[in-house]
Amino acid sequence: MFVPSITNPVGDFVREMVPRLAEYLPASIQSDTLNSIVAFLVNALICVIAVCAVNIGSAPILIYMERKVCAHVQCRLGPMRLGWHGTIQTIADVLKMLFKEVYAPSGADKLMFYLAPLIVLIAPFIVCALIPFGRDLVVADVSMGIPLIIAVNGFGVLGILLGGWSSNNKYSLLGALRSGAQMISYEISFTMILLFVVMISGSTNLMSITLGQEGTISDWWIFKIPVLGIIAFILFFISSTAEMNRAPFDIAEAEQELTGGYHTEYNGTPFAMFYLAEYIALVTNSALATTCFLGGFLPPCIGVAFVDNYLNMVPGVVWFFAKVFFMIWCYMMVRWTFVRPRVDQLMDFEWKFLLPVNLVLLIAGAAYIVVCG
Amino acid sequence: MIQPRFSNLPPGFRIQRETNTEEFFINMGPQHPSTHGALRLALRMDGETIVELVPHFGYIHRGMEKQAESMSYLQYIALSDRQDYLTAIQNNLGVVIALEKGMNVGVPEKGEYIRVMLQELGRIASHLVFYGCFGGDLGGQTCLLFGFKEREMIHDILEEVTGSRLTTNFFRPGGSRYDVPDTFIPRVKAFLDHLEDAMRDYERFLSKNIIVLERSIGIGVLSKEDAIAYGCSGPVLRASGVEFDVRRANPYSIYDQFDFDIPVFHNGDCYDRYKIRIAEIHESMKILRQCIDKFPKDGPWRSKEKPVRLPVGRYYSEIETAKGLYATYVVAATTGEKPYRIHTRGPSFPHIAALNKMVQGHKVSDLVTIMATLDPVIPEIDR
Amino acid sequence: MGIINFAPKILDPIPGGKYVVNAIDYVVNWARANSIWPLTYGTSCCAIEMMSSSMARYDIARFGSEVFRASPRQADLFILAGTITRRMAPAIQMLWEQIPGPKYAIAMGACTISGGPFIYDNYAVVRGAQNLIPVDVFVPGCPPRPEALFHGLLTLREKILKETCRNPWHEGQPKDVSTMDRYREAAKTWAALEEMKDEEMAEARAKFKEENPDYKSSFKPIRVKKEDFPEVERKPFRRVGLTQLELYQKLHDKFPGITFHTHSEDPIETVLANAPADRPLEVMVEPEDYVAVTEFVKNDPEFKMDFLIDVTAIDYDDHFDLVTQLRSLQIGHKIFLCVQLKKDFSIPEEKRATSLLASVPTVSHLYPAAEFKEREVYDMFGINFEGHPDQRRIFLDKDFVGFPLRKDFTHPEMIRRPV
Repeated sequence: MFVPSITNPVGDFVREMVPRLAEYLPASIQSDTLNSIVAFLVNALICVIAVCAVNIGSAPILIYMERKVCAHVQCRLGPMRLGWHGTIQTIADVLKMLFKEVYAPSGADKLMFYLAPLIVLIAPFIVCALIPFGRDLVVADVSMGIPLIIAVNGFGVLGILLGGWSSNNKYSLLGALRSGAQMISYEISFTMILLFVVMISGSTNLMSITLGQEGTISDWWIFKIPVLGIIAFILFFISSTAEMNRAPFDIAEAEQELTGGYHTEYNGTPFAMFYLAEYIALVTNSALATTCFLGGFLPPCIGVAFVDNYLNMVPGVVWFFAKVFFMIWCYMMVRWTFVRPRVDQLMDFEWKFLLPVNLVLLIAGAAYIVVCG
Repeated sequence: MIQPRFSNLPPGFRIQRETNTEEFFINMGPQHPSTHGALRLALRMDGETIVELVPHFGYIHRGMEKQAESMSYLQYIALSDRQDYLTAIQNNLGVVIALEKGMNVGVPEKGEYIRVMLQELGRIASHLVFYGCFGGDLGGQTCLLFGFKEREMIHDILEEVTGSRLTTNFFRPGGSRYDVPDTFIPRVKAFLDHLEDAMRDYERFLSKNIIVLERSIGIGVLSKEDAIAYGCSGPVLRASGVEFDVRRANPYSIYDQFDFDIPVFHNGDCYDRYKIRIAEIHESMKILRQCIDKFPKDGPWRSKEKPVRLPVGRYYSEIETAKGLYATYVVAATTGEKPYRIHTRGPSFPHIAALNKMVQGHKVSDLVTIMATLDPVIPEIDR
Repeated sequence: MGIINFAPKILDPIPGGKYVVNAIDYVVNWARANSIWPLTYGTSCCAIEMMSSSMARYDIARFGSEVFRASPRQADLFILAGTITRRMAPAIQMLWEQIPGPKYAIAMGACTISGGPFIYDNYAVVRGAQNLIPVDVFVPGCPPRPEALFHGLLTLREKILKETCRNPWHEGQPKDVSTMDRYREAAKTWAALEEMKDEEMAEARAKFKEENPDYKSSFKPIRVKKEDFPEVERKPFRRVGLTQLELYQKLHDKFPGITFHTHSEDPIETVLANAPADRPLEVMVEPEDYVAVTEFVKNDPEFKMDFLIDVTAIDYDDHFDLVTQLRSLQIGHKIFLCVQLKKDFSIPEEKRATSLLASVPTVSHLYPAAEFKEREVYDMFGINFEGHPDQRRIFLDKDFVGFPLRKDFTHPEMIRRPV
């Protein structure tokens, strides 16, 4: 009988432990199949809890962070009243959203209307499961990591399109169509950059991509290949911003034009889910950038043994989240600094600039590998 | 070829065209974040492209002109605050000049200086709101806050002088309600020094930003002929290449004593309308600096107080507010304290009338940009 | 209806359940009271102060309310910033219905409390938001300062903290109470309170006098010194372009039907020569000549009246005066063309108020700017413009009865100002 197994260090630990514990059971129901099934279920439960904890736990922190960053960019203070410097403001927001009235507008396709926010949530959750947070901390250490991410990322647009279409609102529909065109276009350059990383690292497994950067800072993919790495990183930054529908590429929401775009008609919990998806996507994209370019959970060693010893003492997961939050901070600063391009300019930018540059980058990367590597 | 789906167009739409695609209608407003108040715009769209636009007014029509007929002249000054609330202090002057023409009273020199300084402060305040709304409507929320940040300092000065932040109700025939406090001149001076630095930052923030340039150059072009024909005035007219400013064409108060330029741009697109307002802030600062130098320390700040009674006749005044030509037309059928009719010509009304001409063939996003650069105030249109 | 409203029905019958309900109340109210997201809505002056309150100086974000939602479906709080007109009223009710519960409303400014400056002689303004939707907090002021709005917000917060899910949020049935009645009642109550206060104070004063017979007030009122202001002669502003006399004569040569209206006995030329320099020339034009004169002054190289300032009208007993204000951008002079339109008294008297009483050809083909201005005149005075491309009401609803700027206009909702 085939029993699926999850290949990660935690999984190995559970698989080891389950037969030992099973010895205490009566011998009549002991069997290897049962052990592996129980091990799988326990594993799956742990993994689900871990992914949910990272995602749902980080979203309120990020919303608070966004409000504070935004406020300080704009010479304000931001939330101040609830908790120390407004730290528990988001909890109040979330609780309030949960207990708000929920209804669908008349003429809306009710099934699709309520399904859309769930679909939007799928993609960032799956991506999160693939990312190595530390040497032993990865939910699914699959060998086809990058192709799986590319495949799953396309899911987000489906939810937005469905949500916009089923709302029975012209603003929503326009926002959804804009978003569809934008996300599909930018997915191409997003994919290209990931392919560039795959090419130079020689692996599609995220763990081995990370471990390939072991050494000093100059061994990270962003610095290892001179110039090309930094260009690739900047291109990744742009295309992932567009992929997430974040300002300045938030033409799908475009509050000034479309009053919120695809989520104009959403309220209460479904709206909170869209909000949540936006911020989880922020975490996963930052994590992806960290893994592919900034050395993942590896400490920023500088080649001096005395300093490096101390840096290595810090757990990898701390380094990982430090880098992730630095990336998130960059995304937020960009969001509150730039103005929004128009929809056709955004398309022009992708098809006439980003895509050709990406192709050139791929060829240059290949040439570099042939010549130097 | 698909026949147009709407054989009978809704009222207001006029363009008859054959199309391969299906047109649809979008309703923007009356509650919409970028219509600058309670304005409703009916858009006829082909995909994201606007075919035709019909503005619907009246959502904030408050019947001010009817009400003015049973009010005294002085009470109407307070109503004029509530027309264009961004330039309330300028509207006051427009009404007061018309009354002065009827009463035949003059203003002493210090009173005129107070008027000019408050006018220019009001102009800067309005243009700062424009700066904020322009950036904000393009999607840069941060600009909105930057514009309002410096405006608060003007409000502090206005509050010290007039006692009110927004609706000032300050000028009276023959001068103003109060003298300015001693701290007025130093505060304006300090504010100007601060604004000089701030404007440098703000221009760096928007003027050279590639996305702003892409989104505003060549968008919403209003030709010189159209601008005149539709009765546009103020920065919108001057951005289209017409050098017309009431301060220079028919100088009122003591504007003929100051050395300032009328900035004129010639493309008539959104970027020029943005640049011209930035240039006007600098010109206003120039006038304010001259006022500070020449400000008379002593002397009366208003003329002898008289009851506001106008002899029979029709009186007309026009001033240049931050938005454009603001004209007041007072009809006195009997000598007395009440007008027979007061009519106000606000600058925003013709701008919205010309909007249809500007947006055709542009995208929805451009409509937002164009609306922001017209800088309309809807209660002044509807009155 | 939120899920939470079912909690008391299930839990209250269970022993000890009401403590759970109380705990739920506490948590939910805490969340609702501290996370109030307002709707982006504003019609006039108050909207600017509402914006100011979210800007850097005042920063409504400190209370967690900076999330202004453009869509009513995600908002909790409806800040009614600005005057509410009869035309806007249905939109406001619709917005209120679209906000999911629990929802709250703050009426900001005098206009939304009672009509404010627009209470008398007004046909367009709704006297108070409470006639349309249930309002939780009233913030007085015209416009209120941002601090006042914050006070309103914190008052609302206290109100929310006292709510319970046993008695869920109001669903928003508008009460059919006349605002003016309510005002009269309030005024009566106020007067009674004042009387009571006076009586109490009189007693206290008498008591104080008994106890301190030698007391003398040291209070001296500070009187503002009445300054003597000099009389200042008005200096007319500088004239630009042709003088009024030249304009009149040139126009009169071309169109002899043109006259100048004056109360003086002197000949027109003398009156015009002595007129103040900054007074525009206002000539009376026959309705037949109107379009021809307009076309002439627009195209003539000496006039070049290329800019239409405004088209407006004045209602007299038996006629309308249609005033077309023109100016020349290049030269700088102005001409006001005044057309006297006799009212059509052949219409039976009971129909006069609702029918078009006069007719005049349009000039919108000469000046596109006139199109909207003429619509305004049509809307306000009921003057028909022949050949107008789009003659509809502009400011009022299409089913509005009557033409408001006529002197004999009456409206059921209009209250005369007490003299």
